Order: sequence, then C-alpha cells, then structure tokens
Amino acid sequence: MRYLAIVVGGVAFLAASPTFAEIARIKQASGTAYIQRNTQQIKAAPGLQLLASDKLVTGKDGRMSLTFVDNTRFAVGPNSQVSVNEFQYDKTRQKGSFVTQVDRGSLAVVSGKIAKSDRDAMKVRTPNTLLGVRGTKFIVEVPK
Amino acid sequence: MNGLRLAAGCLMLGGCATSSLVLLPDDEGHQGAVAVLEADGKPSQAVIAEGNSRTKLGDATPASQPLGEKGLKAQEAALLTDLPPPAKSFVLYFDQGTTTPTAESQAVLTALRAEIASRPGAQVEVTGHTDTVGSETDNDRLSEQRAQEVLDWLAGQGFDRSVMSAVGRGERELKEPTVDNFSSAANRRVEVIVR
Repeated sequence: MRYLAIVVGGVAFLAASPTFAEIARIKQASGTAYIQRNTQQIKAAPGLQLLASDKLVTGKDGRMSLTFVDNTRFAVGPNSQVSVNEFQYDKTRQKGSFVTQVDRGSLAVVSGKIAKSDRDAMKVRTPNTLLGVRGTKFIVEVPK
Repeated sequence: MNGLRLAAGCLMLGGCATSSLVLLPDDEGHQGAVAVLEADGKPSQAVIAEGNSRTKLGDATPASQPLGEKGLKAQEAALLTDLPPPAKSFVLYFDQGTTTPTAESQAVLTALRAEIASRPGAQVEVTGHTDTVGSETDNDRLSEQRAQEVLDWLAGQGFDRSVMSAVGRGERELKEPTVDNFSSAANRRVEVIVR
C-alpha cells in the first residue's frame, strides 16, 4: 500500500511538470526575433519548439508567428515582449490553463481549445489589465 | 478633468502605457468576447463583446468604439496576415484488424502529405483508434500500430520524425458509440492533426 502511494505520487508529479513539454512551435519569423529562455536567447526560426515560461521578443523590424498545441495561434508584431507565464494542457481531456503577458508591443491571438474548455481558462495580462478570453480573435497593443 | 488627472498620474509613473484591444469575429464568423477581469489593479466585471471594435484598456467600464470606415491600422492588418493557418484534421480508415488504410484513405494520405509540406514549422499529431472487436489490450496495441504505420509512411515521404508524434487510444474514444465486440468501420481510424 505504501509502495502504491509512492508510485501514484510519482505519476502525479510527472503529470504536473509540463515545463519540459513542447507547448508551441514557431511557424514564421523575420528580422530581430528571438526566444528568451532563462538566460538563453534563441533565434526564432520555423520549427523551433517553445516551452512554458518562454518570452517572445522582437526588435523594431522583427515579427514572428506560432501555433500552440491546443490550436491557439499567435502573431507577434515589432518591438514586442510577450511572455507565456503559464501553459498547461491535457490533450485527452482538452482542458488547461494559459496565461500570456504582453509587456509591450502587439499580439494577435486566435484562441484555441484551452479558451473553450472553461470560462477564463485563457488569460492575457497587459501592464494595466487582466483579460479573460472567451473564444475569439483579437489584437492587444501595449505602447512602449 | 478626469483625463487630466490620469495624464498627470502617467507622467509621474514615467509614461503609463494605455493598452488597447481590437476585437474581431473569428475565421468562421462567430463573435466571441473578452472579459476585463482586472483594470488598474481592481477587479472588474466588464465584458467587451462588440465585434470589429477598438477599446482602450485600463478603465473599470471600458467604452468600445466601432472600427468604422477607417478599419484596422496598417500594422494591425499586417499582424492578422502573419497569423498561422488554422490547424487541419485528417481521418484515415482501416480494414478490420489491420494496419492498412482502406483504398479510399490512400487519397487522404496524399492530401496529408501536401498539407504538411505546405506548412513551415509543421507539427503533426497522429492518434490511432480501433472499434470494440477484441480485447482492450489488443486494441491498445492495434491503435498504436495504426498510428505508427501512418507516421512511418510520412517519414518515408521525407518528413522529419521530430515534427511528428503518434499515440494509440485503443477503443476508448469511439467515433460511433457501440456495444463491446461490435465491428465499426467509423471507429477503425487514425486521426491526424496538422498544425
């Protein structure tokens, strides 16, 4: 019985560590566009896999677009800093939670399955607002 | 007066960014909404639901303006053009107990190949399923083999394995609900999502 509890605990731990799982993939990138992962800067290029807590950064001539594993789509405009603070998605149950922070610049979003799964399961934070996404397409702009 | 006070506040904070939101209908023409859960650190109940509108964020009761004749700014239109295409699904069917796609599904394979080739940075998710004929264990294995068969075929067409993943769901996700040990062509399938 004790053994079982440990095994179950171990499984739960694995399921709750989505940090190393792919959450999205870059589709297009141009100009100065990179991913800030901890202290590392990775140049954005088609096929690059994103992890939770990655930050998307573009310079004044930079742009990038990406699709998440729940079908959410992003386009990041020039001079932008966008962080994916939280991304959890259970493929089988098609449920999860998704928090994006737009510190500056512009972000176009077409929401996916997480936004559909529960009310306000997808949130977007700007410097002065917290938004709950209820299944739609929108653009958030945060001037510098 | 209110505006003046706000402006003064922004100056003191060193230029506060007034974020804004442009709300649009989705590609199928449905209009969703965006709720303002917090504005300027205070909880809010506001919901922005007007399609094709522009809203300044930060007020507890935001006022949306129609985009009107001026429409989107050039950089907003460019951003929408940059959005990747929506994910696309394909379904292949299989003969009873086999990992060979039916003759009709061969055309789907061709379409699938073309779709992946047309998408830079594609991600391909392959999920195998069975009907309820046979044991659950056998069906788990068969569904995995079906998914693997499709993945191997795609790899044989030159797609890198790192862009693809395959799983089997056995008889757990029936397309057509049936009793146990029921032969169903609709359930013997592999679903492929291309992102």
